[in-house]
Amino acid sequence: MASRDVVQYETPLTRGFRWFSGVFIALYLVWTLLPILVMFVSSFKDLLEAFKIPAVGDWSGIGVFFDFTPTLKHYRDLFVNLDFSRYMANSLVAAGGSAVISVILGSMAAYSLSRIDFRGKSDLFFWIISTRMAPVVAVMVPLYAIFRSIDLVGTLPGLILAYTTFNLPFAIWILKGFFDNVPYAIEEAQMVDGATRFQAFVAILPLVAPGVGAFIVLCILFAWNDFLFAAIIGSGGAKTLPVATRELVQPQNIQWGSIMAAGVVTTLPMMLLGLVIRRYLVTGLTMGAVKE
Amino acid sequence: MTDITLSPENSLRHGESLFRVRQLQDNVEARPAPSRIAEPTRLNPLPSKAYFFWLMAPAIILLACISIYPFFWMIYMSLHEVDIGSATWNNFENFTKLFTDTRYLKGWALLFQYSLMCLALQIGIGVFLAVVLNGARFEKVLVTALLMPMMMAPIVAGLVWYFLYNGTFGWYHWLFQSLGLLDAKSILASPNTAMLGIVLVDVWQWTPLITLITLAGLKRVPQDQLEANMVDGASPLRNFFSVTLPNLYPVLLIAVMLRFMDNFRFIDSALVLTGGGPGNATKILPIYLFEVSFKFFKLGRGAAIALTLLVVTIILGMILVKVFDRQQTRKT
Repeated sequence: MASRDVVQYETPLTRGFRWFSGVFIALYLVWTLLPILVMFVSSFKDLLEAFKIPAVGDWSGIGVFFDFTPTLKHYRDLFVNLDFSRYMANSLVAAGGSAVISVILGSMAAYSLSRIDFRGKSDLFFWIISTRMAPVVAVMVPLYAIFRSIDLVGTLPGLILAYTTFNLPFAIWILKGFFDNVPYAIEEAQMVDGATRFQAFVAILPLVAPGVGAFIVLCILFAWNDFLFAAIIGSGGAKTLPVATRELVQPQNIQWGSIMAAGVVTTLPMMLLGLVIRRYLVTGLTMGAVKE
Repeated sequence: MTDITLSPENSLRHGESLFRVRQLQDNVEARPAPSRIAEPTRLNPLPSKAYFFWLMAPAIILLACISIYPFFWMIYMSLHEVDIGSATWNNFENFTKLFTDTRYLKGWALLFQYSLMCLALQIGIGVFLAVVLNGARFEKVLVTALLMPMMMAPIVAGLVWYFLYNGTFGWYHWLFQSLGLLDAKSILASPNTAMLGIVLVDVWQWTPLITLITLAGLKRVPQDQLEANMVDGASPLRNFFSVTLPNLYPVLLIAVMLRFMDNFRFIDSALVLTGGGPGNATKILPIYLFEVSFKFFKLGRGAAIALTLLVVTIILGMILVKVFDRQQTRKT
């Protein structure tokens, strides 16, 4: 606001830059939204219409893209013939289950870590966060061997446990930041009024509730979008949406219409959830290092 | 507004209050540090540590079961020839073989090449986008539109791009050909361009994150400093390089480390786009590891590769946490 008093003269150079940046933003928007648009539109196209494309260099032929009669048959196919409602339920249970476990256990641990100091705390902390950063494929090799020996491969509990390997450390790390901002005096006051220690802990939960809610959603998002764990650990009995979508790609016959529809089914709920927790997104995706 | 801040009596008052704060702080420092024993008024001292350890225990135990226990399993497996239901000691063969395994060594080189290409493009485009978006007319709406790719499951993103790249009906393939950038072969089909093909998908999906981080950093660049420079006649370009950019370094460093590690963590989209091919042109190490472990089921060998990948990631993680800590102390 204060910058108003410094007059910035319009030179050809700055005008050119402004013009250029406008064009850049517009181009970037097209580039970033186009694949999403193609996915949505193609999911309503009949197979032959989806393959229609102008000749090379025929720029006026772009209109072909919008030349189609919308059909819902791919969606019908997914839910009637292909059992996608079950895969969706699997996704929901696996993602939701691990998110709830992670946030409940994580908030207890984060609260404790934020309230006390002890020797080796930073080492414990580093261990917690390093489990979150480990490459998924590397974690999966021993996890698969263990789960196979106790018959957890191909079951929803196994998948929930697998997702907890990355959601729990994430929840602890992020929620600690929230509890650090709640002064101890509040619990003290509660305890003066006769609350037990645990009641005092429960009493400060509403103060961190918005953040906790947002991070349940983020945990769901990470788990829902996972492919590798679901493909290996959940293979067979606990097929989730991303795996089912991938399986529509068959060497001989790629069902593009169904793939695009499955993509929409997988993506749309997460896009909406992402908008809901927009305010916490940057904090969450940068592990709390950057706040907007 | 400007009148108020520039008037002399106000600046005087400002100075005074500053002085008072200084004094207060001095007083605090002068007091002896309070010790808990000497404070009888506290009715409810901090609960004992044991209580907090109990509260922490479920999470820590669960995490140990799904991270430390598998870690020792991984070490055990890496030292054995693992078959279904049996494991035989094989004298570090899993590790010694790695040194002569050209696909393993090439996997590392490709992984770094892939990560560096992704980062260079993401930082370049992301930072520039943030700078031009900062304070633009529809900033909020535009940023929301940018978020969309990040919410998409990487596997779905890979599939959609696979469709767009397709050599007969892909729209991007048509675009590349129409611009004269490609011949009839799809971008993924030629060993020279396949890497660029998978890099572009990562750039598409994660550049917005760099932009968001940079935007958050830009809001904290001291405006008065920029103005002072401008009054002194500095050009906007000069201002950007000598004030804005140095202020962005810390957040950018975090962004770089996060993306670098995510490139190690996720291979979903690359897996559907090329699966490591054509030939081995895009067989970055995690994809090679995936093949060894879950296609050929050589779990012992896979564990050895996984261990080396994990060690490098942990070293990167240590650096990242150091950077985090420095950020935290700077803020307070």
